[in-house]
Amino acid sequence: MNWTLVLPELVLALAGLAALVAGVLPKRDTSFAINMGVFGAMLLAAVLVMAQPEGTAFAGQYVSDAFTRFMKLLVLAGAALGLLVAMDWNVKEGLAKFEFPLLLLFSSLGMMVMVSANDLIALYLGLELLSLSLYVIAAFNRDSERSAEAGLKYFILGSLASGLLLYGASLIYGFAGSTNFDRIADAVSATEGVPFGLVVGLVFVLAALAFKVSAVPFHMWTPDVYEGAPTPVTAFFASAPKVAAIALLTRVAAGPFGELVEQWQQVLILASLGSMILGALAAIGQKNIKRLMAYSSIGHIGYALMGLAVGSDLGIRGLLLYMAIYLFTNVGAFAVLVAMRRNGRALEGIDDLAGLGRTDPAMALAMTVFMLSMAGIPPLAGFFGKLYVFLAAVYGGYWTLAVVGVLTSAVSAYYYLRVIKVMYFDAGEALDARPTSLSVVLAGTGLFTVFFFAFPAPFLAAAQAAVAALVG
Amino acid sequence: MDAFLASPIGILALTVAQTLALLVPLLIAVAYLTYAERKVMAAMQMRKGPNVVGPFGLLQPFADALKMLLKETIIPSGANRALFILGPMLTLILALIAWAVIPVNDGWAIADINVGVLYLLAISSLGVYGIVIAGWASNSKYAFLGALRSAAQMVSYEVSMGLVIVTVLLCVGSLNLSEIVRAQKTVWFAIPLFPMFVIFFISTLAETNRPPFDLAEGESELVAGFMVEYSSMTYALFFLGEYANMILMSAMTSILFLGGWLPPMDIAPFNWVPGPIWFILKIMLCLFTFIWVRATFPRYRYDQLMRLGWKIFLPFSLVYLVLTAFVLKLTGWLPV
Amino acid sequence: MIAALAFYVFAAILIASAVMVVTSRNPVHSVLFLILAFFNAAALFLIAGAEFLAMILVIVYVGAVAVLFLFIVMMLDIDFSRMREGLQRYAPIGAVIGGILFLELLFVFGSWQFAPDAATLRLNATPGPEVTNTEALGQLIYTDYIYLFQVAGLILLVAMIGAIVLTLRDKPANSKRQDIGVQVARAEAVKLANPPSRAGLGQLGIIRRPLPEAPKPKAVGHDHHDHHGGGHH
Repeated sequence: MNWTLVLPELVLALAGLAALVAGVLPKRDTSFAINMGVFGAMLLAAVLVMAQPEGTAFAGQYVSDAFTRFMKLLVLAGAALGLLVAMDWNVKEGLAKFEFPLLLLFSSLGMMVMVSANDLIALYLGLELLSLSLYVIAAFNRDSERSAEAGLKYFILGSLASGLLLYGASLIYGFAGSTNFDRIADAVSATEGVPFGLVVGLVFVLAALAFKVSAVPFHMWTPDVYEGAPTPVTAFFASAPKVAAIALLTRVAAGPFGELVEQWQQVLILASLGSMILGALAAIGQKNIKRLMAYSSIGHIGYALMGLAVGSDLGIRGLLLYMAIYLFTNVGAFAVLVAMRRNGRALEGIDDLAGLGRTDPAMALAMTVFMLSMAGIPPLAGFFGKLYVFLAAVYGGYWTLAVVGVLTSAVSAYYYLRVIKVMYFDAGEALDARPTSLSVVLAGTGLFTVFFFAFPAPFLAAAQAAVAALVG
Repeated sequence: MDAFLASPIGILALTVAQTLALLVPLLIAVAYLTYAERKVMAAMQMRKGPNVVGPFGLLQPFADALKMLLKETIIPSGANRALFILGPMLTLILALIAWAVIPVNDGWAIADINVGVLYLLAISSLGVYGIVIAGWASNSKYAFLGALRSAAQMVSYEVSMGLVIVTVLLCVGSLNLSEIVRAQKTVWFAIPLFPMFVIFFISTLAETNRPPFDLAEGESELVAGFMVEYSSMTYALFFLGEYANMILMSAMTSILFLGGWLPPMDIAPFNWVPGPIWFILKIMLCLFTFIWVRATFPRYRYDQLMRLGWKIFLPFSLVYLVLTAFVLKLTGWLPV
Repeated sequence: MIAALAFYVFAAILIASAVMVVTSRNPVHSVLFLILAFFNAAALFLIAGAEFLAMILVIVYVGAVAVLFLFIVMMLDIDFSRMREGLQRYAPIGAVIGGILFLELLFVFGSWQFAPDAATLRLNATPGPEVTNTEALGQLIYTDYIYLFQVAGLILLVAMIGAIVLTLRDKPANSKRQDIGVQVARAEAVKLANPPSRAGLGQLGIIRRPLPEAPKPKAVGHDHHDHHGGGHH
């Protein structure tokens, strides 16, 4: 047993329990203080993650290395930004309950467990802790029919995915006789040939994880849930949980099943191609900007999975960078969506952005930066994300992936540019003044997106170290 | 003889004999418990109670039983016939099969299993089905309301009951009922765990739907609750089930807190008395308290009942459980 | 031999009741069959020597979860004809998917292959005959698996928070609530008195509100006054 290794998780869990007590016991409303407290706990956990030593704990169920550190920092950043984005919105919509930050905290704890999982049971429990929190915050605006529907839909489909995961995990356990990733890796390498049962189990597990990252063909829930859930919740859904699920997918594929690369590669290539194509085509006709972002996120997951599908160190490095850049760009874009409010009412139509270029030039500029970055226009951050995964695909000889990727990027640029066109060339009324917290998030993510090209070295180095830790 | 007892048929015969030896006295005890209840309540209310049938009314239970048997069983036309009959049967069966693990004396249990306490808890948690099924199958609003009340009540009180049992288990280190009794050789658990003893006893009142927690029947508001449509033998089965459950819960209380078959002190006049007598005496003490409570307290209101269960008993027993664990750990009394 | 026989009996009932859960016309019957299925699963645990799990299955699933299931199902007003409608529409698709899954299962288990050292890695249910499996489970859960155990606890906590967030509605601020402590502590609410036998309230000094004026009985020649206004039967 090694309690000191799990210090970040421990601190986060205890902070959650303390915040729960602080929310329930006093008679007055403490939601603002708890928001701040949870934000602080996330930052503290991030600092502890940076100082976390390497090693395994609890009979190998928990692992800490450069990869987990990289991913956990991303997850915590995503969760903290998600909280900042949500605070003002919740007050305006009458949803300022102290449970919201708590659920965000527990979901980030679940994500950290997922990222550090080195055991099928830990994987499952982390995923459930995350999912359960997400189901609840999807339905957080319980008086809205759409929100409740989103929560229920996500819950039912998510339970199905969990069932698939458990089914696959039981097949893997039946083959290997252990749930530990290292033991499974040993069992896989000690076996001659490829046992059919093991492959079926692996495919089930991959399918469940593909559901969580909403890769094609497990993406059906995404547009409905993204549209129905409150906007800041959607912002959170599209950022941190995807990073965590991608981390888990990477660890499962590269760790215990590293030797079965030919088996999972086919699955991932198909998922990647499908996601890129669907993300590009289905988003074109959307009028609701949340649905547009849902399809856009499916497309981005397609690009990210391309990095894993090529099955090389270079590809995984590209994947990690892609997720980091995607996270910040996406949170920034959603911060604009959260700020879309006229006369106190939240807006979701693309047309509602009309005239933003004149009424709020700063926000319009930020949105332009995010949209161009997502389309992959140099020298913005998104370009580098795509560059690294395409490079990996080309080096690996996966020309189909690379070509389809470039083509779909070109198609998707159309709808990103349409948003910019609406902002600058259509006439419309002014939006309500944006709150300070959103301005901070916009400024931070915007500067990151613009100036990533100037200092990519630390990110590259961290990603390189993460890949080295993962592949060994 | 030994060879016969070791053969499958011998084992079967032995088990049947043991079961009969336990159940026949138990059913007679149930019959006389109804008599005792009426007599004790009468005494407390300065009345005489049953005194007509037989000397001191001693044959009254049999007269009642005969009356019940001879009446017509009425099944309401809108009722679900199979479940309507199943409800009362289930109630009595569950009250009886729990006795399989009760040790009457050292080594005197039909099945001295490893997880005896869990078995008892499992069986007592099933008791709610008899009531819920009866309430639903009757197809009557009063009956259904009674069933809903009782389901919520029994589930609520089981939680704190479970925690109390865990506290006892911490002090024993075994789930075997005989072991639990033996662990009380020096001191009965009722003394160090007195608050838990009280909570447990009150919870057993709620588990058996006895006053002041008899909201499932609540004749003043629900006529007779879940049994409103029952008559004759089906009604008698509920009646028997309730009293058999009372005896069972008293036995459980004696085993967990009052030292089962052990004498109060292991010295001369006390340890001449055989164990089963002590056990029976303790059960009778608990049963008397059941009746005493009934004659003394008015019925709880439903929200008060829930409040007591969830807001007082549950947190208190949780805190006491943690406290017990701490004390045992710090003093090194934790059984290994 | 008896154990094998018992296994087949319980397994057969388990499968039969599982089928009945799905096919029963009445949802209450479905839940009751579900309970029967739980029981048989517990019996199978017992045969496998896992008595602790068997009892916990009964206590948790049958004693608590299924009661709440039954509770809800009994109160639901389900329209059976509409349910059947959906069933007929989706049955072919469901049958196709089920068939494919079944074929897959056949393939998987038809060619099942274990890793060479899988048998040694797999843990024994009980370390030895002298340790009960309650103890064995406890020793594993609270040592090797403490991390997973705690995470599982957090999952349950989140489930609880979620249920409360999504359903609890605060009462309006002006609604009156009960404060038992305050109510009991009111000085004038309870008065202890030790009345002598046959003493009336007047003699004890307890002031009573004057009774409402009783309607004067019509003078029809019978002078029976009834001040109590009924109440005795």
